[in-house]
Amino acid sequence: MAEVLRLSNIGKVFGGIEALKNIDFDLREGEIHALLGENGAGKSTLVKILTGVHQADSGEIYLYGKKVKIANPIEARKKGIGVIYQELSLINSITVGENIFLGNEPVSPVFGKYDRKRMYERSTEYLNQFGIDIDPKELVSNLRMGQKRILEIVKALALNAKILLLDEPTTGMSNKEIDTLFDIMDSLRQKKVTMIYISHYLDEVFRVCDRATVFRNGRNITTFDVGKTNTDEIVMAMIGKDVKQNRTVPVRNLSGKETALEVKDFRTSIMKSPVSFSVKKSEILGITGIIGAGKSELAHSIFGAAGPHKGTIKIFGKELDMHSPIEAKKYGLAFIPEDRKTEGLFLNDSISDNIIRANIRMIEGKNHLLKNKLKTKITVDIGNKLEIHPLEPGMSVRNLSGGNQQKVVIAKWLVGNPSVLLMDEPTRGIDIGAKAEIYAHIRAMSIQGKTTVIMSSEYEELLNECDRILVLRSGKIVGELDPSKTSKSELLALSLGGKHK
Amino acid sequence: MKTIKGKQLLQGEWGLLLILVVLCLVFSFLSATFSSLSNLLNITRQVSIVLIISIGMLCVVLCGEIDLSVGSTAALVGVGCAVTLKATGSLPLALLVTLVLSLAAGTVNGALTVFGKIPSFIVTLASMWIIRGIALVWTSGRAVSGLPKGFAFLGAGHIGIIPVSTILCLLLILIAFFILHQTRHGVYFRAIGSNLEASKLSAIPIKKYKMIAFIIAGLMSGIGGLITTSKLLSAQAIANEGMEMDVLAAVILGGASLSGGIGTVIGTVLGALIIGVINNGMNQLGISAFYQQIVKGSIIIIAVLVRRNKDK
Repeated sequence: MAEVLRLSNIGKVFGGIEALKNIDFDLREGEIHALLGENGAGKSTLVKILTGVHQADSGEIYLYGKKVKIANPIEARKKGIGVIYQELSLINSITVGENIFLGNEPVSPVFGKYDRKRMYERSTEYLNQFGIDIDPKELVSNLRMGQKRILEIVKALALNAKILLLDEPTTGMSNKEIDTLFDIMDSLRQKKVTMIYISHYLDEVFRVCDRATVFRNGRNITTFDVGKTNTDEIVMAMIGKDVKQNRTVPVRNLSGKETALEVKDFRTSIMKSPVSFSVKKSEILGITGIIGAGKSELAHSIFGAAGPHKGTIKIFGKELDMHSPIEAKKYGLAFIPEDRKTEGLFLNDSISDNIIRANIRMIEGKNHLLKNKLKTKITVDIGNKLEIHPLEPGMSVRNLSGGNQQKVVIAKWLVGNPSVLLMDEPTRGIDIGAKAEIYAHIRAMSIQGKTTVIMSSEYEELLNECDRILVLRSGKIVGELDPSKTSKSELLALSLGGKHK
Repeated sequence: MKTIKGKQLLQGEWGLLLILVVLCLVFSFLSATFSSLSNLLNITRQVSIVLIISIGMLCVVLCGEIDLSVGSTAALVGVGCAVTLKATGSLPLALLVTLVLSLAAGTVNGALTVFGKIPSFIVTLASMWIIRGIALVWTSGRAVSGLPKGFAFLGAGHIGIIPVSTILCLLLILIAFFILHQTRHGVYFRAIGSNLEASKLSAIPIKKYKMIAFIIAGLMSGIGGLITTSKLLSAQAIANEGMEMDVLAAVILGGASLSGGIGTVIGTVLGALIIGVINNGMNQLGISAFYQQIVKGSIIIIAVLVRRNKDK
């Protein structure tokens, strides 16, 4: 097969960090080539270089054997490189046809009038070509997610794209829509369109791709022929050296303890499928899964922040009649959200104001005035326990380091003395020292009898800190593992899905 | 397959038309004079100024921006036109001043928004006062009157039985309809207001189109000011005060979204007509101007509530 695109020795540095290093990569005409790798491995940076969003610092790009420079997205498009981004780039308030031809409208010679008739005829042709049943005169805002993504592909093809980059195209699609997408990709392959396919789901890669290149730490490690490899080989390439747990504390067997939290056939509108699991008193349960697996959705749902639910949640045997976080809090649940800056903190407010916010009544006197001295005392007490530094109650949270901000979020919920804590990515983006302190505190709370559920995508911390690990994939629990008997590769393989031998 | 359900139909432009027809029927039932031909033509004359400026506002709103200075621009242009006409007696020169002032207002608003990167709400809130202030300083707050009688043709004249301003208004509506609904320019305005990032990636010259929208708004305000001056044969710096709100009301009632991307010429025309009919009808019935404000405000809230159900 002819070579369409070749990257030679591509490198890219962001603020002193090498995002890509010595990338050599080639695309053959009419192939579907998967890019695989953990978050931060360099896939997105590569895509952005190919689409002209970023420029490589070193190395060359050859298109059909000719050396090219891709200065901006418009130039990439002119060179026949089309992208289907995760965030849709369609315009909701105009029609399907107008979107397909946006920036490229057929114009009739009279007064530069927009030739709608011809535009809709050609739109219909394009849509029929792929057997897509969408009315070109429909407004895009009336389409479903899957239809929109397919429309993005049609739009790219209308601009004569010869190379299509698909970034997680199946996100938010139903199974039927995924089938349609793969049929379309198949027919494009026969028309010699070359595709780069980025996905976290290995089963999709095995279903539709010809070759797969694995990235790790900004380098491309290996390229596999998909037909000649298996899940284990790919996973090993993705993580490099396998990590077993390296625990300082033993995994506890808590099966004799009473059940603290029981979730049964539980589902809300933001979850893909119902889940059931239970957590023992003082247990530290880890729940993992790749982005999009539904960890955050599950946490938000249990905390009542995602609207009405089906199924039941019990805390110490008592069924919760729960509709909102206000009730969840009353039942002793606490939730530490993933994004502390937008969901957890009031950045401009002081440390003490942030800590007391969820429990303002604690400092409310009989005359309804707030007792500021008590607020400071509570802040200092909890701050010392969590080692918040600097512990100046009046200081704006904005000025704290990420790790200390996270401790403030945790402190905020500990003040209310919850019995069950849900933590969504509790150590994301914070330094190793602060991580260790947070985990030491979680463990100390566990010994006092508090129950913790940690949603995390950091396998090492799960292996080292949790008593049990559940793996989520596409919203379903697909595995329950004992951290002392598993490894990073097993967790990743389970998360990615589809064992292929 | 363009089957629209009954409910959707009511929420679109047909719904606005229905409201308009019902209002007309109610008023003609309550008032003997309302449905006379002369009164109906009078309504079209009364709404023509708001309607013309609304078209300019629609362009700006489609791009996701706003122009609060339209009323002030109309006043300044009226003053400029009247002063020139009185001083020189030359109509072409007066029209030239009209044109220059309206283009200048639109260009400054557009440039500060697009190149100065200040939100248009703030830019035009400020220019609303500045432009009005210039007009006040220019006239020392006094009316400029005593214009030649022939100048009244545009604002008060008739061709046959139809008011000249109605004809001018119709002409501008047709041009706007053609540009906003039949050329790619209209698609671009919508695209920019709907999804700026995607528009950029689609190679749409965003800055150019936003500038054009503000300039159109300035131009339309200028024409509105010209008609006002012609109708009264005098110009005042305080003319058309609060006009921006009537214009916004017409645009919103017509189904445009203030966050951009959504809105039609027909909707805007119907929105302006509905407001015009309410004003006129209530005047015919002798309802106090105080109540009229309450009714106008309520109708806007109801119209937006009905629309929101559709978006949900």
